[in-house]
Amino acid sequence: MKVFLKNEDLKKLLARFVQEGRLFAPVRRCGYSGWDRVSSVDEVVLSREQAILQGEEVNTREPAKIFVFPRSETLFEFEGEEAVETGEIPELVVFGLRPCDGRAMAFLERFFVGNGPEDPRVRQRREKVTLIGVACNSPADSCFCTAVGGGPHENKGLDVLLREVAGGFLGEAVTSKGEELLTGFPEATAQQDAEAEKLKANAEATLALKIDLNRLKAALDNGFASPIWERLTLECVNCGACTFLCPTCHCFDVFDETVRGRKRRSRIWDSCQFTLYSQHASGHNPRLNPAARYRNRVMDKFKYTVDMLGEVSCVGCGRCVRVCPAGIDIRVAVAEILKEAAQDGR
Amino acid sequence: MDKVARLRQRAKELLEKQEVVGVLGYRASSRPGISQVAFITKTEEVDRLIFDATCSQNLANYLLKVKDKGKVAVVARGCDSRSIVVLLQEKQIERGQVYILGVGCEGVIVQGEKSVSCRSCQYPNPVIYDEMLGEEVHFEPEKVEDEFDRLTPDERWQILSAEVARCIRCYACRQVCPNCYCPVCFVDASMPALVGKTHNVSDNMVFHIMRALHMAGRCVECGACHRACPMGIDLMRFNRQVAKIVRERFGLVAGAKPDEMPALTVFKPEDPQEFIR
Repeated sequence: MKVFLKNEDLKKLLARFVQEGRLFAPVRRCGYSGWDRVSSVDEVVLSREQAILQGEEVNTREPAKIFVFPRSETLFEFEGEEAVETGEIPELVVFGLRPCDGRAMAFLERFFVGNGPEDPRVRQRREKVTLIGVACNSPADSCFCTAVGGGPHENKGLDVLLREVAGGFLGEAVTSKGEELLTGFPEATAQQDAEAEKLKANAEATLALKIDLNRLKAALDNGFASPIWERLTLECVNCGACTFLCPTCHCFDVFDETVRGRKRRSRIWDSCQFTLYSQHASGHNPRLNPAARYRNRVMDKFKYTVDMLGEVSCVGCGRCVRVCPAGIDIRVAVAEILKEAAQDGR
Repeated sequence: MDKVARLRQRAKELLEKQEVVGVLGYRASSRPGISQVAFITKTEEVDRLIFDATCSQNLANYLLKVKDKGKVAVVARGCDSRSIVVLLQEKQIERGQVYILGVGCEGVIVQGEKSVSCRSCQYPNPVIYDEMLGEEVHFEPEKVEDEFDRLTPDERWQILSAEVARCIRCYACRQVCPNCYCPVCFVDASMPALVGKTHNVSDNMVFHIMRALHMAGRCVECGACHRACPMGIDLMRFNRQVAKIVRERFGLVAGAKPDEMPALTVFKPEDPQEFIR
């Protein structure tokens, strides 16, 4: 059932979570918005469309993955020989993530939880966070969710999807957690539903890019030794901005350290763009060449996770396009790869 | 003939006469607002070269990537040329390896505004070059009123802590810097590890302070790191402060004069040395 939340209703709903100190929402920083714990509901710009008009980017700079897979976390501490679990995982509510990030959350859940041995930290974090997504009515020129199987009004991976219409939001529960959240709100009118559908169609119409993912996969299957990688990567400086801000990139490093006498095992994000990432203990590094590292990123998004989980791991959020200090655009890389494969008759 | 036309013409000639194996410059990217680095090796590709306010990267950084290919031509503004000077002084490249196409610069524009490093730029024109593309550029640099010095150490610490708290340790700042070329960076040292790798403020601060100190007397304040930071950290705050200290205490400006060695690589009897008393 679709319900309608007037702006004041949504504000009231969020205010409850603010009071409990567990609401995270996009908060404007320096030229972009980032996830911050909100201390007053007035800090929350309910309308993401309004925020865009005020010059904010279409989406938060950091992806919502930080709520299940934080930048760094202590896995456990040691007491003598014993490992002691630390850090109660808090109950959080996240408002304002985009459908692309929701889709990414579904991917991460699948990767960390539904794929062989589960990662208990990620599972617990996902269980304890409520994701209230807001549909995109005005995608940016760097967005391409529809080209990789998503959509600006998609609800995958979210608990609740809100779709902005005149005077408020159309609410759609995706999980039982979401249903609980939306109980008591009036049913949306057919007119409101039609308005949301129209906004969805408008948003989709601005997302023109199409990628033939099957053909791309085939091109990559045979493209490991292609000279194209060298050509595509002269500009790349091999920083980790694209991978760290990618909502589906999930690589991490684990290390032990002692801080003020306390021993702990932590994990931090790691990036395939770093030389150290593939450095063997012997000193040998199979991916010393920057082109090999860039290739790994593209392969991972459009081939490796397809082989492993049956889906591409690019959700088209466009963050890597927006933040790359070298101006690299993964859409251009994809187009070049497809072009080269076509020329070679692959 | 404007700068860009001249650049394309000269690039073509240099490649035709095989004086260089490639021309390092800029080309348009897929998006407005930021250009991409181009390494042009074929004469038919010279028309891709551009030069405008979207040229955000410091080309001296890319010089290190292509230097083994042979002699290359490089487009250099004031800041790029100063980075080249530092690389020459530190023996990372040889003067004969590069042909410098100097160009006056009016500043990089980011999201409609002049990049913070460019506003106070004192060196819009290259300090060394083999030839100039067009006229030199002259403008009055903005005076950056820096309140930082008037703050107490605690207040400064708070400002810096708030900045580095956002750091995600992607090392974009390091990777775009022409003068960060160590084969193994101190943050990557693992046996033993020198720096904590988590993203807490303490570990982040160690990274940023060590980076700033390594840049002392070497950073040319081009602002490439500041523009590269995906989290919008005010890296020029660190760079400006370090450059200012070097200027005040040693009377030196990094890369400004080819025959003046970086402050911390030489010893002069008149150097301030109260700290070893």
